[in-house]
Amino acid sequence: MQIALRATLKVLAPYILVGPAILFVLVFLYAPVVFSGVLSVSDWNFISPDMKFVGLDNYRVILRDPQFQTALLNTVLYCAVLIPAQIAVPLALATLILRIRKPFLANAYKAALFLPTMLAYSTAGMAWLWLFDPTNGFFNTLLGWFGLAPSRWYSDPSLALWCVVIVSFWKNFGLNMLLFAAALASVPGSVMEAAKLDGAGSWRAFWTVELPLISPTFFFVAVTTTMSVLDDIAATIDVLTEGGPFGQSTNVLYYMFERGLRFFQFGQASASAVLIILLVLIVTWAQVRMFERRVHYES
Amino acid sequence: MKADMPGAAGPALFSHLILAAVALFSVFPLFWMVTTAFTPNDLILSKAFRFWPDDPTLSNFTDAFRRYPVGAWLWNSIVVAGLVTLGKMLIAVPAGFAFAHMRFKFRNVLFWTVVATLTFPTAIGIVPLYVGISLIGWYDTLTAVIVPSIAYIGFYVFFMRQAFRQLPGAMFEAARMDGAGPFRQLLHFGVPNVLSPIASLSVISFMGAWNIYLWSLLVLDSQDKQTLAVGIKYFSSIDDVEPLWGPAMAVALLSALPTIVVFVSAQRYVMAAFTGQADR
Repeated sequence: MQIALRATLKVLAPYILVGPAILFVLVFLYAPVVFSGVLSVSDWNFISPDMKFVGLDNYRVILRDPQFQTALLNTVLYCAVLIPAQIAVPLALATLILRIRKPFLANAYKAALFLPTMLAYSTAGMAWLWLFDPTNGFFNTLLGWFGLAPSRWYSDPSLALWCVVIVSFWKNFGLNMLLFAAALASVPGSVMEAAKLDGAGSWRAFWTVELPLISPTFFFVAVTTTMSVLDDIAATIDVLTEGGPFGQSTNVLYYMFERGLRFFQFGQASASAVLIILLVLIVTWAQVRMFERRVHYES
Repeated sequence: MKADMPGAAGPALFSHLILAAVALFSVFPLFWMVTTAFTPNDLILSKAFRFWPDDPTLSNFTDAFRRYPVGAWLWNSIVVAGLVTLGKMLIAVPAGFAFAHMRFKFRNVLFWTVVATLTFPTAIGIVPLYVGISLIGWYDTLTAVIVPSIAYIGFYVFFMRQAFRQLPGAMFEAARMDGAGPFRQLLHFGVPNVLSPIASLSVISFMGAWNIYLWSLLVLDSQDKQTLAVGIKYFSSIDDVEPLWGPAMAVALLSALPTIVVFVSAQRYVMAAFTGQADR
């Protein structure tokens, strides 16, 4: 009897070990995504028991909503500005840091640049909200010293989005810098010397030898940065501008959040969730393609 | 190219100038936060505001605690970050071990089912999840924040599998010969040899959970149920007659310190984890 029990336990053991992981992702990640799809084609308000199938009505409503169009345009803008900036600038900074000969100074720079990454998004948002404050904030004081007129910063419709961009960049670039620095430091010096002996200038050696060698890091950074630009930026938006003024700084995720939470339009919120999933798939796919081509081309 | 031309001193100076400017950009908002936190609030709102207060004060901290249950927020943040981290480790470590050292049906399918969730944006299922949480009566409890947040384990399971793979399979084989069951193998031979990957993942998880924002905002309602990340927003009421920037920055500093301390004390493990991941 006991032997039979032991044998069964042995067969079941791996499933017992991986079971909780499977259960958690199915219940809290896969199921909600599937239900988002169902809700996106339904008319349901949480209170009434019946759920009506309405086809693509929710999609039609949000796609015609000027707020959603602005949100979509802003999302593209956020991606177009922040993804290249959060890859190129940290990469350039990493190469600069590696040139610093004194380890103490190099570490001090790294620590300073990484400091903002350790904060929560809302904490970072609050620190900047205070700097941007129209009446007593540091930036307007600074403008005053130079005799310039104060700005309204995050409550200026044409500046709000850029305030979010700056805070988001500030919060995230340090991590990518560290990742690039670690990867570049692991490229053997002999490889670069060989390239230079073959007559490649340092610029060309960087592009054709060093960059392909750190391409796994590059890809990892590109993917995680994309996720954070689409995803975490919503927290910054909420603290800084709440999507305003007049929806000028909102993005699709924040739009979804508002539809769901503030207006309880679950169908419309779910429809935008589905559109976000599609957007993520497209961007990730584009990145994989670009990455593949680059590597093929260089090798 | 050009930067290389002027000889050795030129490029070094150039690097220092740029890095110093970026470091200023990086550190200044935090410096300003600290200065403000220790300056009396009425002085902050006057023209007499300095780069460092003449007589630093703790009044902003006491004021913040008097206005809102900041102590409870701090405790809630610790509970959320601690339990999310504990939950993730309890799930990801055994799963990583099984995926690395055991043979069983559907192993690959199950592995990729878990790891594919790496690409899920965190807010993607927020609407159905919100409905579900409300239906089972978890609304306005920390449980509602903690339990669904544990589910983001794709990276953790992947990482733990890699860590266990570094251990020789022969070790577990020998343990099995000696009659150790799979659970004993994991506890006595597996876990003691992967303590540093576990430490690094714990730090990453703690910092991530400290950060949870939109989801907490959605499912927490009572003032004393908030975490620091969401509670801090109470101080940002812009149109207040008397803005509370002093107390706000005091709370911001309070919220920033734990993650900085946790990260700095475990820095070596975390960097190994990040760069190790990037190399693969």
